[in-house]
Amino acid sequence: MRYFLYPGCSMEADARFYLTSLEAVAGALDIELQELPDWNCCGATVASSVIGDAPAQVMALRNLGLAETSGGLDVVVGCSSCYMNLSQANRRFQKDPHFRALASESLAAGGMKYEGTVNVRFILEMLVNDVGYERIAARVKRPLKGLKVAGYVGCESVRVHPWEFDDPEQPVALDKLVEALGATPVPFPLKARCCGSSHNLPQTEIVTSCSRDILESAAAGEAQLMVTPCPMCQMNMDVYQSDVNKAHGTSFNIPVLFFTQLMAIAFDLAPSTYGLKANVVAPGPVLSKFGVTA
Amino acid sequence: MADANASPGRLKYDAGFAREVYGLENGSYLKQCMQCGVCAVSCATFKIMDYSPRRLFALIRAGRKEQAMKSNTMWMCTSCLMCKARCPRGIPIIDVMHDLKGLALKQGYVNYPQAALYEAFWKDLACRGKVFTGGVIKNYVLKRGLNNLPKIIGQQKDVGLKMLSHGRLPLLPPKAPKGKKQLMQMVKRAQELEQKGAK
Repeated sequence: MRYFLYPGCSMEADARFYLTSLEAVAGALDIELQELPDWNCCGATVASSVIGDAPAQVMALRNLGLAETSGGLDVVVGCSSCYMNLSQANRRFQKDPHFRALASESLAAGGMKYEGTVNVRFILEMLVNDVGYERIAARVKRPLKGLKVAGYVGCESVRVHPWEFDDPEQPVALDKLVEALGATPVPFPLKARCCGSSHNLPQTEIVTSCSRDILESAAAGEAQLMVTPCPMCQMNMDVYQSDVNKAHGTSFNIPVLFFTQLMAIAFDLAPSTYGLKANVVAPGPVLSKFGVTA
Repeated sequence: MADANASPGRLKYDAGFAREVYGLENGSYLKQCMQCGVCAVSCATFKIMDYSPRRLFALIRAGRKEQAMKSNTMWMCTSCLMCKARCPRGIPIIDVMHDLKGLALKQGYVNYPQAALYEAFWKDLACRGKVFTGGVIKNYVLKRGLNNLPKIIGQQKDVGLKMLSHGRLPLLPPKAPKGKKQLMQMVKRAQELEQKGAK
């Protein structure tokens, strides 16, 4: 199985360890991920407000044009926001003739042609549908028996095309994946609630308030650990967790891992691929009984 | 509820503003709103919004430009898509919010720090084709003005140090795509075409 990987800006910076663990896990599952050559930023949730919706979508489409001319492999995306922008622009290009004309002419202004043939895939969806829970479970060498995990899916990846892959409000795929690793997914009603997103810089209290509710929901289910597929969610739950405690007088101490880190651990891959040093809330105490040192 | 002070005094109806908003890329969807309020109860930041999306749409349709544009509603939206997924009329509410943020930026309603972040983010993206956290923060601090610097440092110092010590804050920008110039040509053409189409 071969794919293009669209890493997005966060996998080159604050979420580098997402990329490291993802590449290791992909290798263990015989998936070949090739970085999309010369990719550019998807625009995040910001570009459409500053330059307009259609121009921002054209920006996202340049990536798919590159994918099409470089072999047309499916483009796998790990970040919720990148996934939303790339797949939404693609869908609009395929279905809206007016936009297609505008986008084609705009891409041509930069010497590019796109026919709309590329598929955009969210990493979790690709793993679940193309590899499957059984094959993932079969690869597990270190079953995480007894580990209680809150699967925090976040917002955009399940809601940009509601019901196509998972339930937009109470998704199950991540929980089933956690189960395949031998761990126990806990009841977690706020698993698809917003983390507060980019308010972390301009108005931190919004993020600490959103994160408090979500951490509380995970703690109520007795989660020892949280996993997520989204760099923004990971940052707001993990890096800002002590700010949550400070602002709200709570005492949360829940490590927040990318789900690929947990997969790498369960697959018993080389410890250097886990990237646990990047996690701010120390996962060591929870993982030590599985022989993992962070 | 804040609803009590929604309509002080006599209402002056200004259809011009509603038409202005309907002319935005996703603005005409507002006509479909039936004021059910599902967006309000779905919203992650509803509690801190001046007006829920439903009420903001009502204000726009009633021509209350200043009230609508000076409100924090669109700036509080995190694009989490819960309202869009649930709206019974199929209004892409977050896309409408993006348009309203764009209108606010164009017309100088930029008093919220989020507006500064958006401009800072775009400035960085436009110059390198990717986003570099350090660049965004630099632009943001400059936009917010030096008098806000102590506050920003006070809020972000701990987080910044944690990011640094856990190897999550690169000090050098990422490698820009080779096609950066072409990318910006595409964006420029799209903006021209979009403006031509809107007229």
